[in-house]
Amino acid sequence: MKRNICFHFQISQPCRLKTYRFFDIGLHHDYFDEYQNHYLANRLAERCYLPANKMFLDLINNNDNIYLSYSISGTSIRLFQEHCPEIIESFKALIATGKVELTGSTYTHSIAALHDKKTFVEQVKLQEKILKETFGVTPTTFCNTELIYSDEIGEWLNELGYKTILTEGAKHILGWKSPGYLYCNPFQTDLKLLLRNYTLCDDITLRFSDKGWEHYPLTSEKYISFLKSLPADAPFVNLYFDYETIGEYNTKESGIFDFFRCMFTTISNSGDFRFITPNQAEDIEKECELSVSTMHAPWPISSAGDEKDTSEWTGNELQQEAFEQLFKLEPLYSDSKNETAKQNWLDMQAADHFAFMSTKWLSKSSVRRNFDVYPSPYQAFINYMNVLNDIKIELEKNTKKAAPAGKSK
Amino acid sequence: MRVLMFGWEFPPHIAGGLGTACYGLTKGLAQNGVDVTFVMPKASGDEEKDFLKIISADNVVIDSRYSEFYSLNKDVSFIEVNSKLVPYIGMDDYFNVVNQMESGVFETWREGIQRKYNFSGGYGPNLMQEIERYAMVAAEIARQEEFDIIHAHDWLTYKAGIAAKQVSGKPLVVHIHATEFDRSSEGHRNSIVYGIEHYGMNSADMVCAVSDLTRNIVIEKYGVPAERVVTLHNAVEPKTTTVVRKKNVKEKIVTFLGRVTFQKGPEYFVETAKKVLEKDDNVRFVLAGDGDIMQQVITRVAELGIADKFHFTGFLRGSDIDQMFGMSDVYVMPSISEPFGISPLEAMRAGVPVVISKQSGVSEVLKYAIKVDFWDIDATADAIYGLLHYPSLTKMLSENGKAEVDNLKWESVAAKLKRIYESVLKK
Repeated sequence: MKRNICFHFQISQPCRLKTYRFFDIGLHHDYFDEYQNHYLANRLAERCYLPANKMFLDLINNNDNIYLSYSISGTSIRLFQEHCPEIIESFKALIATGKVELTGSTYTHSIAALHDKKTFVEQVKLQEKILKETFGVTPTTFCNTELIYSDEIGEWLNELGYKTILTEGAKHILGWKSPGYLYCNPFQTDLKLLLRNYTLCDDITLRFSDKGWEHYPLTSEKYISFLKSLPADAPFVNLYFDYETIGEYNTKESGIFDFFRCMFTTISNSGDFRFITPNQAEDIEKECELSVSTMHAPWPISSAGDEKDTSEWTGNELQQEAFEQLFKLEPLYSDSKNETAKQNWLDMQAADHFAFMSTKWLSKSSVRRNFDVYPSPYQAFINYMNVLNDIKIELEKNTKKAAPAGKSK
Repeated sequence: MRVLMFGWEFPPHIAGGLGTACYGLTKGLAQNGVDVTFVMPKASGDEEKDFLKIISADNVVIDSRYSEFYSLNKDVSFIEVNSKLVPYIGMDDYFNVVNQMESGVFETWREGIQRKYNFSGGYGPNLMQEIERYAMVAAEIARQEEFDIIHAHDWLTYKAGIAAKQVSGKPLVVHIHATEFDRSSEGHRNSIVYGIEHYGMNSADMVCAVSDLTRNIVIEKYGVPAERVVTLHNAVEPKTTTVVRKKNVKEKIVTFLGRVTFQKGPEYFVETAKKVLEKDDNVRFVLAGDGDIMQQVITRVAELGIADKFHFTGFLRGSDIDQMFGMSDVYVMPSISEPFGISPLEAMRAGVPVVISKQSGVSEVLKYAIKVDFWDIDATADAIYGLLHYPSLTKMLSENGKAEVDNLKWESVAAKLKRIYESVLKK
């Protein structure tokens, strides 16, 4: 039996906030750092998205058995449309090959799944809408923000029609079990779970450029030998990366492009593996009569840190207050007619904003911190709360309920 | 191991941070099994003596037959200094000090060739003379006492340290609590003080600086090779009494506590207050302290029209400081240059969240403090506003800040110092 190897890349650039002081509240509503957004979209396009897309397009054109999948957050799509539309075009070209699956995700890289069903469903639907509009795609696989998943979130997604979910092979949930098998939601057994092998992913994302690592330099031969040493009866190897792994976290000079090109070509020509996209998992299950076991996740898991839980975003008091104040505005969002304020509220749900408030001091070194612009978690929190307070005022001003009463003249 | 340590003051009679630091450090050394003989110009007799031996320089009998004495005496130069010169001393107010302490160096006792000298141990107009005399006495002490290493605190004692080194041949460690670059602004630096500092640092076998900030000054401005300068952060003595939180006004209170001099940045505090008050009426600002730019600061407050919400307490000490912390909601230290800066630690110990300038040594050891550039009044105002309006931030900084400060122990600072001693002695 050939082992199935599932590559998935996530693109989730947030709208970055600029410094917004308390004395700006009520005065102006330009919260986002358009310069940074423009600069980073273009920098990432140049270093990562465009060359990586070209590399994969060439690989797909030259080998007929290469498949891969992406998730692109709605915020990223909007940023690209505004600042670097050629990224969108290059993804369209990839999708047109028929070998690339675009999965569902949240619209603004939101952590709404940790709040409630209503806000989460809103995020999922908005993302479906923008995927349909931009790429003409309706996803059947879901990749949540930072792979956040729980039994309950699984049920919500099943209700929305999703068949497969990508999530983390979290050790504290799996125990001795391998992430290389096919799992399902315990309550909706039709909902399949493909679990990430995070050790193998971190080997590339975190360690590829680490000269102190024992396996440095990591060659494709070495990496494929890691893949081969996995338990032989496990039918899946699921590798999900931030797309920035190629070209940004590991620069072009590190040899990351050659590494991927060589690895994909070798795997494509070898008899041991075959590339799949997540939506093929169901067919493979039937075809190979795989056994599927249930995975219980009563509390949310994620790909964050070593804990693989949600403490990266809601671990300390600052994050909890920001989280609470943010989602308290949901009724205002539903009633408001101010489309800009509504969009801003959605953007404020991005996981990145919360990660900047994290006080897990050691995790400062994690790759996401590359984009941290705040001198401390406290300043990140203060800035966030200032913006949120202004959004609240804006949403309140234009609610449907308030409108008829209005301000008496 | 025994250390011969030269200081200028020791609790309970202190004018500022130097004495407090000497107390913590010597006590910490005792806990690490290092014996200390502490020399000061004038001991009062009520110092805590159970963990160290204190020598008061005015009690030392000098025998002028020794050649070292003559050679030193020959070098002694009495320089009259302008009494407006402010030699270092912590947060205290120099002007009070001058008024409080009589000064002058004179013989108090003479018998044949033997004599004793009087010291004020203060910071008066005859400071330079005292420094020279102190060095002569130091040479005598170095001859009489048994010790392995010499440790001198701040420029006032460097000559004493060097004299002791010359007499005994034992290695010298000098400790920088502040430099002339922290004490005065560009163009107002005292070249005599700089000269003594330069001489002391470059004669030492090892230089301890109270922060990386100060360490860089020592390396860059005094030309001491980097490998001979180590950072030794201060700590804070655990508080025996607890500060009671008690407030008589309904508004939030934001406090500045320190000398009202250019280096402490009180002017930035005033501008920040204006920013916050424009948006938020429910807050009062308190400036506790006195100093040479007080008049300027008061005028600016009046100019900005915020005098109804901006209050001056004058110079505070002892229990008044505790009471001030007890009613504060935010403590601000906008120092332009602060070698260490112990007062934020005292605020944090009382559970008050702090906003401190990045240009302070203490910011190097704190995580649970908001750090801003002293000149960035927008950022400072924003931090204050955040602490006044977003309760989780206040709670986090208050609780974790207290725990953080309680963990800064002199015992561990002294343990590091002991290792420094050992490395110097090995050479």
